[in-house]
Amino acid sequence: MLFDIARTTIAGRPALTVRGELDLATAPRLAAAAEPLLTGSSDQLVVDLGPTKFLDSSGARTLMALARQARESGAELHVLVPLGNRPVRLPIDLLDLGAAVPVVASTAEIGTAVARKDAGT
Amino acid sequence: MTAPRADEDALLRCAEEPIAIPGAIQPHGALLAVTEPDLAVVVASADAATLLGRSGGTLLDYLTDDDADRLRAALAGDLAEANPLRVQVDGADVDLVLHRADGLLISEWEPVAGAEEAGAAWHRRLPSVLQRLSASATLDELTEVLARDVRTLTGFDRVMVYRFDEAWNGEVIAEDRREDLEPFLGLRYPASDIPAQARALYTTNWMRIIPDAGYQRVPLDPPANPLTGRPLDLSGSMLRSVSPVHLEYLANMGVVSSMSVSLIDRGKLWGLISCHHYAGPHRPSYPDRVAAEFLGRTASLLLPTVVGAGETDGLVEVARRTAELTAAVGRTPRTPRALATALTEQDLTVLDLLPATGAAVRLDGQLRLLGTTPPAERVVLLVRALLDAGAGATDSASRLVPEGEGLAHTASGVLAVPVAGEDFLAWFRPETLREVTWGGNPYQSKTAQTDDGPRLSPRRSFAAWSETVRETSRPWREHEIAAAQALAGHLAAATLARAEEDNRLAGALQRTLLLEELPKVPGVALAARYRPSEDDVVGGDWYDLVPLPSGRVSIVLGDVAGHGLAAAAVTAQLRHALRANLLRADGPAAALDGLNEVIGALLPGEMATVVIAELDPETGGVVVASAGHLPVLHAGSGGAEYVMEGRGPALGVLDAPSYTETRLALAGDDRLLLFSDGLVERSVAGLAAGLDALRQAVDAGPADPQQLLDSVLGELNPPSTDDVTVLGVART
Repeated sequence: MLFDIARTTIAGRPALTVRGELDLATAPRLAAAAEPLLTGSSDQLVVDLGPTKFLDSSGARTLMALARQARESGAELHVLVPLGNRPVRLPIDLLDLGAAVPVVASTAEIGTAVARKDAGT
Repeated sequence: MTAPRADEDALLRCAEEPIAIPGAIQPHGALLAVTEPDLAVVVASADAATLLGRSGGTLLDYLTDDDADRLRAALAGDLAEANPLRVQVDGADVDLVLHRADGLLISEWEPVAGAEEAGAAWHRRLPSVLQRLSASATLDELTEVLARDVRTLTGFDRVMVYRFDEAWNGEVIAEDRREDLEPFLGLRYPASDIPAQARALYTTNWMRIIPDAGYQRVPLDPPANPLTGRPLDLSGSMLRSVSPVHLEYLANMGVVSSMSVSLIDRGKLWGLISCHHYAGPHRPSYPDRVAAEFLGRTASLLLPTVVGAGETDGLVEVARRTAELTAAVGRTPRTPRALATALTEQDLTVLDLLPATGAAVRLDGQLRLLGTTPPAERVVLLVRALLDAGAGATDSASRLVPEGEGLAHTASGVLAVPVAGEDFLAWFRPETLREVTWGGNPYQSKTAQTDDGPRLSPRRSFAAWSETVRETSRPWREHEIAAAQALAGHLAAATLARAEEDNRLAGALQRTLLLEELPKVPGVALAARYRPSEDDVVGGDWYDLVPLPSGRVSIVLGDVAGHGLAAAAVTAQLRHALRANLLRADGPAAALDGLNEVIGALLPGEMATVVIAELDPETGGVVVASAGHLPVLHAGSGGAEYVMEGRGPALGVLDAPSYTETRLALAGDDRLLLFSDGLVERSVAGLAAGLDALRQAVDAGPADPQQLLDSVLGELNPPSTDDVTVLGVART
């Protein structure tokens, strides 16, 4: 099964777009790719699960770990899961993962970096 | 050995004595038995004429007009409520106590003069005494309060709370006494001290008093009840004359006056409040005795709660320590030396797992001893002999195998579990006799050696009791044995696999997490299927059945995120922690709250899902709470539906999620299915389609849980890349 993580830009922010199945075997690759973005020069990251086909509990745990890292380093994290992506949305809802991980359904909910900064000052 | 022979005769004489029909009373009052409704006196105690100033006639003849009116009113209502009628006889106060027996109305007359009265001050304090009793969280507290307040109330020199064991041996578990007296706390008595017919009497009559053990019996005249031709039944009488053997027993202990109040737990005699006076005769007034009986009755009502709480605490404590030791094993490099060190040299050792005085760990042939044990060279032989004899848990090893001979003082009780090969874990308890602590010498009272030969005395009591418990330890309880086996299972997995791959170890560890055989729960049909992943990648599924003290049973299915050894170790800890929480918590949601705290405090970064269905086998009521787990499937006559209420986030997602519960009823042929995501999530069309397929399969499947699970697994045919767990529940 094809799995791939691409460095992209979404809503003007650095993003990682995840293709294929995010599970026990592939989740460590997402963690490795996200870490420098959360702790480095950028304080923003979008994890795009739009093209992701499957999410298991190991993948969910990795998303939780990313949310924790983001909180600790003061970075802003969004996990993008369109409502139409049921194979990924359903486990997220079942686990109530939204309570700990900032999950959004569309790029509109993220807002632009500039607007966010205006709102904050 | 002639002395025990004579003792047995004394006991036998006592056991055969007709204590309910002694044909006599004690002299601190008078008895008149009358027929109804004419109240004609048909039986009178020999002292009635002297005490009451007349004989014969009717009961009314003995009373002033006012008192006679009160008597008539009392007879028309509940006698227990009327007692005592305080009446005037020759200008003196007398407590008149009434009950019915043998077709007669029995009236007992006890002069108030000469009785001790605690007075109004004590009775005003009654609310605070009751408050103290009901606020007691433990049996120790309850019985201490009871002994202290009964003594304050009645003024006896010594008040003891006495508890019976299964064989009716007694133990003093609480005591309040005059300071200069030797303590009796911890003393044991053999069952024969209070013979069976006395125990039967104590179950119906809650209170006995002997104001002066040196009394002269007052015979009844005539001795027989004219209605029946048999001796009058005095089992409900407060003046009943007691067995001469009992009086002798009291005299041998130097007791001049005694009183006892029954403690009855759900209809069964549980113990006694036993009061002694040494300084001279002692008679608390009838109202004070009633107050003492009331305290005994109140404590009796509280017994099931505090005794139950003590037992549950024991369960919770052992479960908690099992979890901690299991975690320690999980953290330790899997060499025998490191494991042995982890079990014997850390803050928490195998000796702390359960109540024992000694423990032994033998790993890879190396033996380590903790606490008080037999000598090393005998431990191995003893344990091997017991395991070979199929007696892994015994309270009397020295009687069971020759290898135990002479070891009763350290190892009457042995709990041994094999680990692997010749390796084992073992715990030891001494004979119970050794555990008795003496606050002083209990033998100082005079021991009578009468012309008739030896009879009952405290010294002989203790000697007799010693015989019954020699070479016998406190028994091992079921949950203690289970904890020992669980720890040995984890160790076996760790040592077995040390040369193998992590996955194999995790697999062995996880197999100990799954039940080899489902416990039998009356009224419930249970089935479980666990299919490990074929990739040899071990998952974090676990399931459990936890019978609760309430009679309900918790059915648990959980899944720890991740695979391999780490996940299996986390799973082990969560399973034990959840067991402890289920036993302690108010319901499944509260247990999940507790478990989430465990993850937050001890396993940060881990995530797990759990669903709990708590079933009441009697009513079919089910309480469901889920932490992020796939919903439970409820199949009934109306079709199969997922239970979507009672859900909260997965464990580890939030710090304090506050889980909720939902309730449903399992009626008739209804089935409940709990399952792990492996059953549905890799469905070709996705998780939602998998859930739909499962619902259809269950709807069309057979009713029997075993057949249903086989049918569902066949129908869904989940891929073998993940482990799959399914539980089926129905009522029988």
